[in-house]
Amino acid sequence: MAAFGVTRCLWRSYCCVKVVDQNAHMLLRVTRRLLCVSAPDSSSTNVPRTQFTDPEVQDILTKITGLDLQKVFRPLKQQLKPPKYKLMTDAELEEAVQKAQGEAKLLLKMPPVLPERKPISDVISEDQILEGMDTAKYVFTDINFNIPHRERFIVVREPGGTLRKASWEERDRIIQVYFPKEGRKLSPLPIFKEENLKMLFEQDRHEDVLNYCIVQFEPDSAEFIRVHTLTYEDIEKHGKYDILRSTRLFGGLTWHLVNGQRIDGLLVDMLQRDLMQDAVGLVCLFNLVHPQSESARHAQTQQATDLDLLKIYAEYESHRAGFIELAVQTYKQTKALSTS
Amino acid sequence: MVHLSSLLLKKYHGGHVVIRLALGGATNRPFYRIVAAYNKRARDGKYIEQLGSYDPLPNIYNEKLVAFNYDRIKHWIGCGAHPTNPVAKLLGLAGFFPLHPMTVTEAERRRKAASTQKNKTDIEDTEEKQTE
Repeated sequence: MAAFGVTRCLWRSYCCVKVVDQNAHMLLRVTRRLLCVSAPDSSSTNVPRTQFTDPEVQDILTKITGLDLQKVFRPLKQQLKPPKYKLMTDAELEEAVQKAQGEAKLLLKMPPVLPERKPISDVISEDQILEGMDTAKYVFTDINFNIPHRERFIVVREPGGTLRKASWEERDRIIQVYFPKEGRKLSPLPIFKEENLKMLFEQDRHEDVLNYCIVQFEPDSAEFIRVHTLTYEDIEKHGKYDILRSTRLFGGLTWHLVNGQRIDGLLVDMLQRDLMQDAVGLVCLFNLVHPQSESARHAQTQQATDLDLLKIYAEYESHRAGFIELAVQTYKQTKALSTS
Repeated sequence: MVHLSSLLLKKYHGGHVVIRLALGGATNRPFYRIVAAYNKRARDGKYIEQLGSYDPLPNIYNEKLVAFNYDRIKHWIGCGAHPTNPVAKLLGLAGFFPLHPMTVTEAERRRKAASTQKNKTDIEDTEEKQTE
């Protein structure tokens, strides 16, 4: 019966999320290209910092996110279709479960975390002789299909005669007019205003907010970053980490907290749920991102692994040292009891 | 089986390809498609390829949206297509062609009309103040 449920949910959710996943994949490709271009500047000024896209960082984040099949494939709001039942042997059932795990990995692909984009202010030409030619602006777009959206030419001729490149908001709007993306609206929904966001947070709908945000805005736009920071702050304040666990948004939350050096709440939550490996991974990530911090340096000198990492972190960096040490001790005792 | 479409295809004597605006839309709501078509065809008739669009009415952000497929426009101009005056003006405003002289002339005419209008209203205002 569980297999039937899994195969049914698999097909439904895969169809629904495929489109969003493709867009995220394309964005990752484009942004990787952009990141490669900007790398020479950062390495010349200071030591290369760990980025969100580093393979070790991504590894740790995927492990922490977890893979709860029941939560990933829970029924989404879709059109009602009659369920398909298949008769399978044990071997086929295992294959189907493997396939479901592969699909779940695709669904759990994290949306990119990028620095905020700088505003465009290029003026191509200033023609004072055209002053007063018209009361409206002319927006010229290049609708060639082969160009990626980031490199498209969108220029605006003002009534004063200046020919300038379009700003990021104008670009997003115009590209949505000529190359519409599924789910994106021309003007952003009223959900993204402060008061409405607070209402949704009270109803524990952080995941819906973030999914809407990912569909509507570009990953490096100011709106995207603002909505994400607000959501993460709210989750951190109330400690509702479990809402995002086993979704593709957990990596972003962890990265934000690690960069702000505020992983105490998350660590305590993990220890309360007996997720020792996840906690160790979290401290590893912290040391990777902040190699100058005290716990990282001590870990380097002592070459610590696993639970010792937790102890070192608890000693030097954390504000809830007592709780963490207690949890580590109880874990060691239970392990010793179970082995003996 | 003889294919009738080849018999019905018009053969033009001395025709050439033009890039022009084909009108569409509804009553009191024009909408132009920028189109590569034969010279002798009807304005809204069968065209070879659509190269863009032009919306002459401004939207809520006070913008008139124009779209060009520059790649294909370059191709057709390379094949010897002639753009009409409105298309040449739009391409000049976009920066693809040099500025059309009539755009400059129209801008000057509008400025002159605006300044005469302003002078007239100024004179009327001063006359009212004098009578008061």
